[in-house]
Amino acid sequence: MHEQVKQIMSAVFDIPADQISDTSSPDTIEKWDSLNHMNLVSSLEEEFDVRFTDEEITEMLNFKLIVLILQQKKS
Amino acid sequence: MIDLKFSEIIKQNAALGNALEGGYEIGVLSNIIVSQIKPILEYNLRTQGIPANCIIGDYDNILQDAVSMSKMNAVLIFWELANWVDGFQYRSNLLSDDQTEEYIARFKSEIDYVLSHLKDTPLIIINKFSTLAFNQFAIGEDNFDRICETLNAYLKTKSASNIVVVDTSKVISQLSVERAISFRDYYSSKALYTVDFLKHYTQFITPVISTINGKRKKAIIFDCDNTLWEGIIGEDGIDGIKMSASSPKGVVFEEVQFLAKKLAADGILVCLNSKNNPGDIDEVFSNHSDLSLTNDEVIVKKINWDKKVKNLADISEELNIGTDSFVFVDDSDFEINLVNQYQPEITTIQVPKEKYLYPALIRRHLNLFYSPDRTKEDKARVKMYQQQKEREEKKAAFENIDEYLASLDLQVDIFVDKIELVPRLAQLTQKTNQFNLTTRRYTESEMLSFTKSDNYLVFAFGVKDKYGDFGITGLSVVELKGTNAVIDTLLMSCRVLGRNIEQQFLDEIIKALATKGVDTVRAEYCRTQKNDQVSDFYDKLGFVLQKADGPRKEYTISVPAYQNHSLTYIAINHA
Repeated sequence: MHEQVKQIMSAVFDIPADQISDTSSPDTIEKWDSLNHMNLVSSLEEEFDVRFTDEEITEMLNFKLIVLILQQKKS
Repeated sequence: MIDLKFSEIIKQNAALGNALEGGYEIGVLSNIIVSQIKPILEYNLRTQGIPANCIIGDYDNILQDAVSMSKMNAVLIFWELANWVDGFQYRSNLLSDDQTEEYIARFKSEIDYVLSHLKDTPLIIINKFSTLAFNQFAIGEDNFDRICETLNAYLKTKSASNIVVVDTSKVISQLSVERAISFRDYYSSKALYTVDFLKHYTQFITPVISTINGKRKKAIIFDCDNTLWEGIIGEDGIDGIKMSASSPKGVVFEEVQFLAKKLAADGILVCLNSKNNPGDIDEVFSNHSDLSLTNDEVIVKKINWDKKVKNLADISEELNIGTDSFVFVDDSDFEINLVNQYQPEITTIQVPKEKYLYPALIRRHLNLFYSPDRTKEDKARVKMYQQQKEREEKKAAFENIDEYLASLDLQVDIFVDKIELVPRLAQLTQKTNQFNLTTRRYTESEMLSFTKSDNYLVFAFGVKDKYGDFGITGLSVVELKGTNAVIDTLLMSCRVLGRNIEQQFLDEIIKALATKGVDTVRAEYCRTQKNDQVSDFYDKLGFVLQKADGPRKEYTISVPAYQNHSLTYIAINHA
């Protein structure tokens, strides 16, 4: 799952996947603005076949949290 | 594209974007958030060779953006009735009649404002207003529905050659409201439509943009056995094949033949490419009582035991249109795979194993032949190719080409600044790829301003011969600059190639320019992927090359030095 999320973030934010770490967030990734956040959510929903709630979307504030939320949803 | 994941589209689109130059600019005007359409639409067009650049307007700034984006190649308008006024889907139902009228009047004037500012934009794609997202379960009509209907009726009265109205309910119906609409994102950020919807929507409208970029499909080529009829002539015999609605197995094939007949009536070239004995197919076409398609509707028949890929290349040569404008239909995996592999530019349709899905599959592809308004020339095209067949047969009987051309009784009508021809001339600039020296695409309004301007002369010609009338098939736009003239555009439809009409046409242009006091004519050739055949056109006519700069070559000729061709077999009339 980690690798899939990295690949998606890499595509959406147009950065190499190996530059993404646990703490990668809107503060460290230049292209992580509100529009690309929408693109990230849509891409993750498609990839993992899930539907996030409003709260989950606002909580996805860095790579580690995204993975955590996805793990909760999938378990 | 539909099956590709959104993140994959974003990634591949970014890669394509870096490789492309220039740009076909599409402005997106909206009062909701649809920014996710950008990578999807760009990707879908870029993979077709259209270097699309999508510019998302500001949120709820349709009126302002109509002014600032009017110079773009196309605009796309997402005007959501529910968000025209905040919460209109519920507020509208408590309005008095007077208040309703006031809102309708205001919306109409906003529509007028937007469309009038975009009147010179070559293409406006605007969605029909819809209440479907909110009212899908309502039996009766509410005021929201009635306002929606009134505005749609109003939009219909605004029809113009550059406006395409899209029925989004057709797109939503491909998915269901549940998959097309995201209330979560609508209430949090005014993003009403899902990525899934935007993919299907993009797929739906792409043919409109492809057509205006000269990428429309022009021919459909059918295999015969198990494609035009059920059964195999070689095994079932001519009497054993089925294609009539009165037989359970034939019914879908009758429908497909009628779909093909309708395409032929609309000017699409229907051809055959089949491994069979030619005599058997002739026999079916002359004598089979269940055949709906007729000999006249089929332009080229390649019935032989050659490779189908070769036959397709031969058809392309015979019709003088590229294989990229072909759709090929066959029942065999083997044949379809070969074409996909060797001629990937051809769209292929494989007859489905469940035959009852076949007519629907063909219908799904009909948008590839989409044309906004069929001009007289489109409809006459099939007839013209039939006459062409007769000419080709005659040609074989002559010793030399001049003798043959003389036998045709060619008549060329020359028109100058003729306003009635403007729609056709604009269409020619948009569709002509091969015999086109500069490939500049013009809209009707641009062509109209050239025609009216004192600084430009717009020459056009029509061609007739003893077999038939080709209609208006060539034009030139010339800019006058005192004693200089610049040939901005010179093009000719490939239907009239090989008759030296272009030489005679240029004679007439130069003569007309001489009477205007022009002493030097400048001209240029701009290379594209398709116009190689005219790369030395000006060299052959004695123009002097001044500068060759990458894909562009610039020429001049002094008017007194120009050698008239005075071809005796072409009669010129100044209309």
